[in-house]
Amino acid sequence: MSCTWQPKISQYVDNELDAASQQEFSAHMRTCSECSAEVLKEVALRQTIRNAGKRFYAPPELRLAVQNRLHPRRRLMLVGGWATAAACMAMVALVFVFLYPRKSAPESPLAELVDQHVAALASQNPVDVVSTDRHTVKPWFQGKLAFAFNLPDLQNSPFTLLGGKVVYLHQEPGAELIYEIRKHKVSVFLFQTKGENRGPAKLDRRLSFTTASWEQGTLGCYLITDATNEEAGQLVLLFQQANRT
Amino acid sequence: MGQTSSEEFEQLALPLLDPLYNFARWLCGDSDEARDLVQETFAKALKGFGGFRRGTNFRAWIFRILRNTFLTSRSGLEKQQTGQEDENQFEEIAASGDTPELLLIRRAETELVQAAIGSLPLLFQEVILLADIEEMKYQEVADTLDIPIGTVMSRLARARKQVRKHILEGLSKKS
Repeated sequence: MSCTWQPKISQYVDNELDAASQQEFSAHMRTCSECSAEVLKEVALRQTIRNAGKRFYAPPELRLAVQNRLHPRRRLMLVGGWATAAACMAMVALVFVFLYPRKSAPESPLAELVDQHVAALASQNPVDVVSTDRHTVKPWFQGKLAFAFNLPDLQNSPFTLLGGKVVYLHQEPGAELIYEIRKHKVSVFLFQTKGENRGPAKLDRRLSFTTASWEQGTLGCYLITDATNEEAGQLVLLFQQANRT
Repeated sequence: MGQTSSEEFEQLALPLLDPLYNFARWLCGDSDEARDLVQETFAKALKGFGGFRRGTNFRAWIFRILRNTFLTSRSGLEKQQTGQEDENQFEEIAASGDTPELLLIRRAETELVQAAIGSLPLLFQEVILLADIEEMKYQEVADTLDIPIGTVMSRLARARKQVRKHILEGLSKKS
């Protein structure tokens, strides 16, 4: 390239020439095909680099961390000093204690059992003992669990026993029995307890499942199903009758 | 730092979070390191904001903090070693005038261009990141990197030629 403007091309494209030189170069380009072609290439290269180079954006957790770093001082100032801040913290603690007593109580095992129920449904082998006969399923648990239970007689009921397996909750072994009603599966979990929470069965609806929990003697019972509350209640009743002491 | 000063810092610095992260991510080549680098930059900048001279370029100031922090990190030191070696071997590359370059460059895939930027030694990569991607003026780049404007211009010219070469070679390999 022979044009005397050639060394200025980058500065021109970067808009780094003084105003007079920028104008002069613009006028020159109208008559110099070499320079105008080179400028087009330079502009294309910069645009390509710019488009490809703006590649990364601050992840949300970084934004949050930076904002937290900028704001704590302001939050304290808004509440008006340490004394007010301490009083507010005490109030928050009181609200927490009185409004959310369940949080400090032992967590219900139902959430974990719902997971086990879902895992069993997704498994190709949901049960280890496959039988619709309670007289086959119940003896299978003998020697595997340190407690005994009865399985209900399902004659004249809409339920079918599919089988059972040993499961663990908080490192304690228990039984999972799987039943079927209208293509819906029901898991009944049985664990040994200290028999301190006797009372009527508590039916609940959580995580799209109907759940029930009750205790009989030293037997802690939990039921999880996507069948209706009425159907769940019916099986609870059958279990309670079978294990009445 | 007073509340007003803290608010002023926030107004100046927060809009630069994405550009700073982009710069850090290119330098580090790793998202975790880039996150840490940006956090450390904000911490240092916030602490040192009292010493920032009003009326001077805040963007160049905070980018310089990030860059200097990176240079003293382990990966920064490693990258400088590589960059030093490469700088001596970084030859001027003649633009190939016979090829329809303009069309080729416009057709270049993003990955190819990103690989070209990523392959640059640190000294050249940082000028292209600041000048072409952050669209800083030469003076701003010079302030950020603490080098003369003439050095900015020469490094930028060589960096662009290298990127161009990488793109054209990549395209010719594909065709």
